Amino acid sequence: MKKTQLRIRRETRNNLVAYSFIAPNLIGFCIFTLGPILFAFALAFMSWDGNNPIEFVGLDNFLALKEDTRFKAAFINTIVYAVTTVPLTLGAALGLAIILNQKVKGRDIFRTIGFFPYVASLVAVAAVWNMIFSPGAGVVNVLLTHLGVARENLPKWAADPDWAMFTVVLFSVWKSMGYYMVIYLAGLQGIPSDLYEAGSIDGANALQKFWYITVPQLRPTTFFVVIMLTINCFKVYDLIYMITQGGPGTSTLVLVYHIYQTAFVTGSNYGYASAISMVLFLMVLLVTVIQFKGERKYANS
Amino acid sequence: MKNKKMIISMILVLVLTIGLFAGCGKEDEATNESTTDVSDTTSEEVETTDTKETTTDSNQTTLKWAVWDIASTTYYQPLIDVYEAKNPDVKIEMVDLGSQDYMTVLGTQLSGSDTDLDIVTIKDIPGYVNLVAKNVLEPVNTSDIDLSGYGGITDQIKVDDTLYALPFRSDFWVIFYNKTVFDNAGVSYPTNDMTFEEYDALAREISDDTLGSEVYGSHYHVWRSAVQLFGILDGQHSIVDGNYDFLKPYYDMVVAQQEDMIAQDYATLKTSNLHYSGAFAQGNIGMMNMGSWFIPTLIEKIQTGEYTEISEGGNGNWGLVKYPHAQGVEPGSTLATITSLSVTAASKNKEIATDFMQFVCGAEGAEVVAATGTFPAIKTDAVVDMIASKEGFPSDEASAEALRTSNTYLEMPIHQKSAEIEVILNDGHDYIMTGTMTVDEGINYMNEEVGKILN
Repeated sequence: MKKTQLRIRRETRNNLVAYSFIAPNLIGFCIFTLGPILFAFALAFMSWDGNNPIEFVGLDNFLALKEDTRFKAAFINTIVYAVTTVPLTLGAALGLAIILNQKVKGRDIFRTIGFFPYVASLVAVAAVWNMIFSPGAGVVNVLLTHLGVARENLPKWAADPDWAMFTVVLFSVWKSMGYYMVIYLAGLQGIPSDLYEAGSIDGANALQKFWYITVPQLRPTTFFVVIMLTINCFKVYDLIYMITQGGPGTSTLVLVYHIYQTAFVTGSNYGYASAISMVLFLMVLLVTVIQFKGERKYANS
Repeated sequence: MKNKKMIISMILVLVLTIGLFAGCGKEDEATNESTTDVSDTTSEEVETTDTKETTTDSNQTTLKWAVWDIASTTYYQPLIDVYEAKNPDVKIEMVDLGSQDYMTVLGTQLSGSDTDLDIVTIKDIPGYVNLVAKNVLEPVNTSDIDLSGYGGITDQIKVDDTLYALPFRSDFWVIFYNKTVFDNAGVSYPTNDMTFEEYDALAREISDDTLGSEVYGSHYHVWRSAVQLFGILDGQHSIVDGNYDFLKPYYDMVVAQQEDMIAQDYATLKTSNLHYSGAFAQGNIGMMNMGSWFIPTLIEKIQTGEYTEISEGGNGNWGLVKYPHAQGVEPGSTLATITSLSVTAASKNKEIATDFMQFVCGAEGAEVVAATGTFPAIKTDAVVDMIASKEGFPSDEASAEALRTSNTYLEMPIHQKSAEIEVILNDGHDYIMTGTMTVDEGINYMNEEVGKILN
């Protein structure tokens, strides 16, 4: 009897110690993350401008989404952005990692160069990017002219609604591939070399080794990268702001940018902005659930 | 022993929790400090700290005034100096919220009625309408203020018959032109009485599309107002109408100029973020429509030797003329952009804040503002003469005459939905100017989308 009491007390004590370590993070999370999220959930059904009393409006905010041309454009653009950015970044990062995992000359320098865009300040890099891709005198268009592209056929890049999204995606891939390359490098180095040796003995060629050893062994890494990339794509705001400000027109307007504009620029419409962020939340949730389900299936097979 | 451990762990929890809150507190303080740091130029920093000390031990009242671009704005400090000399028991402290997102930041600052700002500068009409709707601005008691000096502008910014701000700056749009460009082309300077047809022809006459030494007859900054607002000068249309068919002739003219390389390509200007001052200073632009706020900048930058392409021996080679006008419209009709002051509803010193607002926006403030070359809202003949005779202002008669306007229309009239309408108009402008849509398609787009907002 006394013994169990003592044990319980020891457990409680241990728990308390553990909680004390968790506390700072948890309290911070509750105040700065959970609180605002719950508030945003509630606000999605309200009308509020930040100062006047909050008014309950039921589903009005969500019904208004149907009529909102800018919201529809932002919704589609966000999906287009994610669907193109994720595979391109994945491919670029994996390719870089595989090349830089070989014993090439100056490997460390190339690894640094590959990682550099991720470290560089977005503001500075975006400004340079805009100069390089300037429709008038940008380096890219000058090169294209020398390659024989007629002046009137030159793409206007960020200023051309047909090319703006592509420009942004290209920038994003270039900017973030270094980071995922490092993750892939770690994954590649974790593959035991006896697998490759066994493959060689069985007469597998390089492509077969890649497909039957590297790819399956990297699956956990790939899963992590895809999840992070997808979520980052849905959250994209900063580089859109730096390169196109959502334009021309609505051609690169994404959900987060639209949420920001609705809440703070076009009239403090916090309730409606919260409703849009709920849509974004559901999108991310859906994608994550599907990916986790898929992963479980893969892992079992 | 074990109890001791438990006590230690409990203390640890407590300390960490307190540390967390202390951390937040500190961060707040730090941000506050950094805002004041940014807001104050080095010379004023000392003064600010002085202020804080004196406030605590005397009966001095400190008012906080929200502004933008302290470093590059010439009239804030003179206004404060004159006012403080008259009212030794009042200190005015400026808070710089930055120009880029000024109204957005201000809107957030004023939310929740716990702001410490007493007086705020109002930068644009859509932002003003939002603040009024939020109930964060104090109505102006018009019974003891003489509003006649404002030339009717105060009536245009009333919301539901109540005035929430007093204008202290009123700029209007003119055409800036580069005399050297006209001299080189052997064409006589533009005049104060030009129709749009004459303006277009003139721009085409002075242009030169030789690769490497292009001269552009006209220049339109990327703002939609630089093109769209040509359309409201006849006084019959408004930018919040919901029907934008009246913009067609102006878009036709500008798009054609752009295609014929009379004006620089909008897409290039937009992505390069070229500022209008930089564009004009390059010396290859014949005419540029812009607000009169550009005059003091132009004078100053030429005097300091920065704009060498448009000056000779320290004298500017530029001139001003009135806006072009449509057939049958009185010349001198132009757009007005006003900057106003408001007292916040949350201010604890409303009376003194109101007094300061009335000083800045009144006749005395107007003189101080005009002395820096900036147009005050109260625009008497004396004020206009003062600016026209300022050193560095073009000496020709037409330029002085260009400062006398006939009808002025607000860039954006008061409308509950003006902020939302503006977003659509910006989109439409983008679509037309980048060539994504034809002029007709773009105008249809604006008609349709603004129609949705209005209904």
